[in-house]
Amino acid sequence: MTIRPSGFSVLRAGRGSFLLHRRAALVATVLGAALAVTAVVYLCVGESFVSPTEVVRVLAGRPSPDEFVVGTLRMPRLVVGLLAGAAFGLAGAFIQTVARNPLASPDVIGVTHGAGAATVAAMTFGVTAHTALPYVAILGGTAAAALVYVFAWRRGLHATRFVLIGIGISVALGSLTQLFVTKGDYLVAQQAKVWLTGSLNGRGYDHAVPLAVISLVLMPALFWAARAQRTVSFDDDTATALGVRLGRVRLCLIVLGVVLASVATGATGPVDFVALLAPQIARRLTRTAQIPLVGSALTGALIMAVADLLARKLFSPIELPVGVFTAAVGAPYLMWLIVRTRSRSGGAA
Amino acid sequence: MTGNRLRAEGLVLTYEDRTVVDGLDLEIPDGQVTVVIGPNACGKSTLLRALGRLLKPRRGAVLLDGTELSRIPTRRVAQKIGLLPQTPVPPEGITVSELVTRGRQPHHRWWQQWTEADEKAVGEAMDRTATADLAERLIDELSGGQRQRAWIAMALAQDTDLLLLDEPTTYLDIAHQVEVLDLVRQLNRERGRTVVAVLHDLNQAARYADHLIAMKAGRIVAQGAPSDIITADLVHEVFGLTSVVVPDPVTGGPLVVPGAPWQCG
Ligand SMILES: Nc1ncnc2c1ncn2[C@@H]1O[C@H](COP(=O)(O)OP(=O)(O)OP(=O)(O)O)[C@@H](O)[C@H]1O
Ligand SMILES: [Mg+2]
Repeated sequence: MTIRPSGFSVLRAGRGSFLLHRRAALVATVLGAALAVTAVVYLCVGESFVSPTEVVRVLAGRPSPDEFVVGTLRMPRLVVGLLAGAAFGLAGAFIQTVARNPLASPDVIGVTHGAGAATVAAMTFGVTAHTALPYVAILGGTAAAALVYVFAWRRGLHATRFVLIGIGISVALGSLTQLFVTKGDYLVAQQAKVWLTGSLNGRGYDHAVPLAVISLVLMPALFWAARAQRTVSFDDDTATALGVRLGRVRLCLIVLGVVLASVATGATGPVDFVALLAPQIARRLTRTAQIPLVGSALTGALIMAVADLLARKLFSPIELPVGVFTAAVGAPYLMWLIVRTRSRSGGAA
Repeated sequence: MTGNRLRAEGLVLTYEDRTVVDGLDLEIPDGQVTVVIGPNACGKSTLLRALGRLLKPRRGAVLLDGTELSRIPTRRVAQKIGLLPQTPVPPEGITVSELVTRGRQPHHRWWQQWTEADEKAVGEAMDRTATADLAERLIDELSGGQRQRAWIAMALAQDTDLLLLDEPTTYLDIAHQVEVLDLVRQLNRERGRTVVAVLHDLNQAARYADHLIAMKAGRIVAQGAPSDIITADLVHEVFGLTSVVVPDPVTGGPLVVPGAPWQCG
């Protein structure tokens, strides 16, 4: 009898050997297919309907009368949505892994509110160029997360303290943001409100650039992270006994999460529920012992595409911000998660 | 006894401001089974954590092959010292076979996740602990004893020369306790593994230890071969318990029989 961990297949190539979780691979394939279908539907519908055959023609780069609507109007927005969704999904996966808590998200560690405060402040001071704002958001998000990390560090990083300090700083930054919104003039306030909901309206390829660059750069890190995830999910002693430098590994995973979340927030504003939901949905699908990375990215992209499809179409011609829809699904889920966690621990905590 | 691989010198171990161990020197004899006994909260787990570099000494040092443990890369340490904590926490939703596989982590490279050595070590660990039948079960859904055996299998799969076990027999019924202790001895005798185990049962400690360490309040009260050091006086000094020590009818070693139970009248 050949022995291997149940549910895994071994892939061999030369001297290399890799463990592949069969169900996770299947889930990734199905999600990929669902994403492709959603993308075509997304490009078909809008103010005018474009037939799927024409959409496929445009995608294949052949001449088509609908090239402008599909290729120039809808495509860039879809690309930004998919990339941001995947980035949010991954960010959530990393942050939840380190916090060992399904309720953790970029919101909890200050990224969202840091990006929000910085962006709204910039708007108030007259920076409105949409080429500049994403970078302001990235800076604000990273700075806030760094602040949380510094405060939470005390001879080691403890998940609970990390989350509590994150929430504290987020609340402070949230009030600061409100202050800027109320102090700013009417137009700025309006613009800030839309941004703070999270929206894909008017997003183009220049928003996709930082996202695409960061995603490409971080690709190799995903291999490392998938391996690191296997051991950080133990208690500290067991993980250390298995030869993991816990402090360093956790820091690296958080940095990955913060960078991804900041960049995504820079592009779309805080569509926060995606980062909360995607890893949990993906994990329920794959039934793996840790949060699946590829699954989280694909689920994030799928949620974002579907939500924006609804946001564009449901009340057309009015286009709602995509954040409204993710919140509509995410908020009840969050409540359910909290209630379930409570009843599970039997009120002992 | 110099030349033993694992040693501690002038060890001071503290949590925040509480000093648990204050200036302790210790040698773990190579190729032997060392058992640590002592009352609750005397610092057994704390000592074991320091020996496995899970707790950094405030002062003094733990030396592995003459090198201070904190100077050796943690992965290197994990290839030489395996440690099973008293209450390990598994990742949520992990199966037994996957848990045992995680014990191979320190030997993996990112491009070598399942070699023949892995297969052999995992298979053997699961056979020896009788967990092969549980391979596909989730850890969260096992009995305390089954779970304990899965953890022991993980520590065995790590395949280290030194193995530190913190109360490996808790949760186990008497038959499985004996099975685990026999397994420990077998690993020691057949493979020359050095084992340090914390045990609460004095008679099991006496039976399975080559070297016994009795601790109280962070200090070593006595150490040596069980038949040399276990006396009614020692039991009284360490545990504050009145007892009679008689020869074990099976092994001839010391057998601790506690004094008469409380009675009314
Ligand atoms: N993480 C910790 N933080 C603070 N104090 C601790 C910690 N762990 C243990 N202690 C304290 O250190 C002392 C020694 O604890 P230790 O766990 O080493 O005891 P032990 O001998 O293993 O006991 P037991 O037989 O109950 O397992 C105790 O007073 C305990 O309260
Ligand atoms: Mg203990």
